[in-house]
Amino acid sequence: MINASDFPILSRKVNGKRLVYLDNAATTQKPQVVIDAMNRYYTNSNANVHRAVHTLAGEATDGYEACRTSLKAWFNAPRVVLTSGTTEAINLVAHGWGRANLKEGDAIVLTEMEHHSDIVPWQMLSKERGVELRYVPVLEDMTLDMDAYTASLPGAKLVCVVHTSNVLGVRNPVERIIEQAHASGARVLLDAAQGAPHTRIDVTELDVDFLAVSAHKMLGPTGIGCLTVKEDAFAEMAPFMGGGDMIDQVTVEGSTYQENEHKFEAGTPRIAEAIGWKAAMDYLEQVDLDAEHHRLLGIARWTAEALRNLGCTVYGRHDDMDSAVVSFLHPALHAEDMAHLLDAQGFAVRTGHHCAQPLLHRLGISSTVRASFYLYNTMEEAEGLVEALSHVLERFGGSA
Amino acid sequence: MIAAPLAEVIEELADIEDRMERFEFIFDLAEDILALPIEAWTDENRVKGCQSQAHLEVRLQDGHVHLRGGADARLVQGLMGLLALGMHGQPLEVARAMTVDHIKEAGVLNSLTPSRSNGVRTMFDMITQELEAMSHGE
Repeated sequence: MINASDFPILSRKVNGKRLVYLDNAATTQKPQVVIDAMNRYYTNSNANVHRAVHTLAGEATDGYEACRTSLKAWFNAPRVVLTSGTTEAINLVAHGWGRANLKEGDAIVLTEMEHHSDIVPWQMLSKERGVELRYVPVLEDMTLDMDAYTASLPGAKLVCVVHTSNVLGVRNPVERIIEQAHASGARVLLDAAQGAPHTRIDVTELDVDFLAVSAHKMLGPTGIGCLTVKEDAFAEMAPFMGGGDMIDQVTVEGSTYQENEHKFEAGTPRIAEAIGWKAAMDYLEQVDLDAEHHRLLGIARWTAEALRNLGCTVYGRHDDMDSAVVSFLHPALHAEDMAHLLDAQGFAVRTGHHCAQPLLHRLGISSTVRASFYLYNTMEEAEGLVEALSHVLERFGGSA
Repeated sequence: MIAAPLAEVIEELADIEDRMERFEFIFDLAEDILALPIEAWTDENRVKGCQSQAHLEVRLQDGHVHLRGGADARLVQGLMGLLALGMHGQPLEVARAMTVDHIKEAGVLNSLTPSRSNGVRTMFDMITQELEAMSHGE
């Protein structure tokens, strides 16, 4: 297990109580090395990347590109486009690949488990291009209906699936999904915002065409993420944002574009954020993610069981490959009330629809309380959460 | 000059230091707003941006503000009660003296900036806009 003291924010108090941060599926905290790397860049090396020849520009460029190199190695990816996050990465596929390759009558397969970021861009494209959207339902056991998935494939050009659900923690059978999609002639986009922080994903081994990731959910800064792209899919993409770094030559008659990933990184990029993310990746390299996954899943399973014993309904199954997310509700107290009362005791949890309204609609609910665990969380913190919740239920009318 | 019932409650809140006790106090204010029956919950009176289901009706009756509301979260219902103490049955000018700072004094919300998690600010803005319109005779 990593050292919580690497994360300065974790020593602060909230409402007079020690902070217990359990909103990691929304964003993770940052280790001091990430904060230092970004500080160092602004203190010593701040310059724009790629164009100038002076020393600072060289340092900034090296720092920015080192992030890409690190991500290529981490994901075993031939192409890594740096974006503002998972949402922009998905939008890049919609605009950069979708507009160039999809036409009226084509179909895109989505699932009811998707985050809004993997629904709305496709709805917009569907409206613009007349592309059909097919949604794979979620079953009672909170897994995807794979028979419906198989049936949805004929005629589909693209399959967009969340690797791991941000609400349920359910890790989808992405290997099978990709294999079937490719056999049917469809490309696959995986939303790995929740999966990538918990497990090492090898995109070449998975043979996935596009993978979207956010840095801030894996110890990095906000405002940066990436899209990994397979070479042949990369060749099918056209830039959708023009200007700045993405050009080769510009004349009044027209422009030519860069051939590499820069083609999709118009404007001055997120340099400090890339440097911060590189520092986060270096930090994660030192962590045994498999061992941590098992430890955190153990905490999540214990928490889910303890919450059930308090009368809560828990949404999720916590299978071996699922992430350490525990979504729950109690009949005696609204999710929003519960989150406020837990915050009063120092516990940061999330409430609401978690940007997955179709999934919550399928579950017949409008919100959940979500506790999501990450590397610095401990069993003692989970026990504290259950104790605090028990206290809340006793005091505010629940049946503890 | 704010309504006397609101002034009294704010004075009582000032003496409560423990945050959990404040929640208890605000939850109890849920009874202070006239209930808007669920069948009267419409999209028109829905408080947009609230995580919980919340509906609020503002009317002017014989020159006095008339509030009814309902929410599935007790905190939101309690804060509706606080609004009712400052506005219900009051002449327009007294109701309009209540500001968002009076909700801050309840000391239970971390932010009153409009956001997805914070329908309370939306709720307050919704009422003040209606009161503004009423004061112009709309």
